[in-house]
Amino acid sequence: MKLSSQEQDILSGSSGKMLQRVMETIVAYGEALDAEKLVDITGMGHFVIPHAIPGISPSMEMLDDLMAAGLKTLKPFTLDPVAPLDYENWWLSPEQIDSLEHMYQNQKPYDEKMTALGLWHGKAYTCTPYLPQVGNLPERGDILAWSESACVVFANSVLGARSNRNGAIIDLLCNIAGKIPLSGFLTNEGRRATWRIEVKTDRLPMPQVLGAAIGKTVLAEVPYIVGLARFLGQGINLLTWDYLHELGAAAASAGAVGLFHVENITPEAIDYKTDLLVDGYKTVTIKDQTLQELVASYPVMWRNKKVAPEKCFLGCPHLSLNQMDWWADQIHQCLGKHGEKYLKVNTTICSAPQVLEKFIENRKGWEILTRAGVRFSPACPMQLFDNHLSRDDAIITNSNKLRVYTHARFFPDNEIVDIVVTGKIRRAM
Amino acid sequence: MILRFKGRTVLQGTIEGKALVTRRGFNTYASFFTSIHKQTGKAVCADTGNPDLYGKNLAHRIICLPGTTGSTSSGAVWQRLVKLGSAPKAMLFSQPIDPLAAGGLIIADIWAGKRIITIDQLGEAFINAVEEDDFIKILASGQVTVYKNHH
Repeated sequence: MKLSSQEQDILSGSSGKMLQRVMETIVAYGEALDAEKLVDITGMGHFVIPHAIPGISPSMEMLDDLMAAGLKTLKPFTLDPVAPLDYENWWLSPEQIDSLEHMYQNQKPYDEKMTALGLWHGKAYTCTPYLPQVGNLPERGDILAWSESACVVFANSVLGARSNRNGAIIDLLCNIAGKIPLSGFLTNEGRRATWRIEVKTDRLPMPQVLGAAIGKTVLAEVPYIVGLARFLGQGINLLTWDYLHELGAAAASAGAVGLFHVENITPEAIDYKTDLLVDGYKTVTIKDQTLQELVASYPVMWRNKKVAPEKCFLGCPHLSLNQMDWWADQIHQCLGKHGEKYLKVNTTICSAPQVLEKFIENRKGWEILTRAGVRFSPACPMQLFDNHLSRDDAIITNSNKLRVYTHARFFPDNEIVDIVVTGKIRRAM
Repeated sequence: MILRFKGRTVLQGTIEGKALVTRRGFNTYASFFTSIHKQTGKAVCADTGNPDLYGKNLAHRIICLPGTTGSTSSGAVWQRLVKLGSAPKAMLFSQPIDPLAAGGLIIADIWAGKRIITIDQLGEAFINAVEEDDFIKILASGQVTVYKNHH
């Protein structure tokens, strides 16, 4: 790999031993990926590990070494959602709270280290950093070293920024050096599609189901999706923003999709059209039946499959303001239809701290949901499942990502509304 | 029967041992998430989605795989495994190594000071031929020798 004279100097130790080690790691990373050179990172960071759990977070010694050398990221970064220490919002037993207390015992010093290493500010925790209320919004063409898979796929596909699916720690080191190997989705060739996905459904598919179907089909390859603009319109608007965010999160977790193009909607598909497809691309058609069969194939992972649902988690990934308004409206209508005032299933909605603040400020939706018994959290439901005591909880969700990584049972949005209002699952087990 | 394959060295070294094999994407986080909390010397695969390896102890074995699939939160897992002494001896990829595996294995090597020998691009013939418990010798050049029926 060719290095600039500045990079070569850092590698030879001219800027200190610790930055030398950082550069040594990035160069080895680049050589493993067959990169021809390093390029400058032009946008803020977003990293996947916000919580201090040994084996998942970087070792404290490593973070201390970086800090002792006076290193921090060249631009500020945001992190995935905060640890679920707002126990009152999660319907937890005393045993579960004790377990979480123990698990997150090093959270405060970890938060302090993240701040010292370049965390943007104390509310910079969400898996939707690019929402306007949050503000880590890369521009088209920005070079990034992000890691959270749902964010990488959105930044690449919808915003037209460029990031590979980097792992935890390498994200931090690259942003400290301000350098990333030129490879994969950072190159024009790496952004071309190897699959043409034709969506031939009668109505707009639920994005988390369509995303999962695409992820299972293409795995880590790049799909070019045709047939959505007739439902969503052309270009990026508020509707497509939310829709493609959900689709991407599901595709990234059901497969390992880091970039997709949607005909007439996403920026590169608008500019380059079918020129994005490589020669000899593969093709698959997705119909309503394909998606129905996919959902029907999901196993029920609850220990007791006949128990009534106890908890419902919405907002994986974190909901936007529009999505929270939608849920408020749907739940309000369904409560009215059944003559009910309160939800029968304990429900938590997750969103970024700044989005929750705005939702509360707007009052209407927040009052509807709060009166119905809904609680709100800026944390992530997935982080509760590192606590083995959650294993016995009968949890439902509309998130295919949460379903993949936990034992939560998946239902489409319309069924979720009915279940949380009535407490009953009408579908056969 | 002896089969020889040549790959590209990502983390160079010479070692020998017994193979464990998966022919599907290896989810690092799902495989190791129960092993990284306790110092047992074992790393029993906890990924229920991978029947090739589920329930098998991956510690001190040579893992043969096409590539890894995630999650992106798995970067620190390798660092933790080598510190606990329960890492595999080597990772042999049939495909070009993916960014998630490359980053995690390189960080374990440079920041934890313990190398998991890593070779990629061994090819489809390698992953189709190698089987569980085959004896494997790895050379620093990236040559991998598989001794079939060496039980």
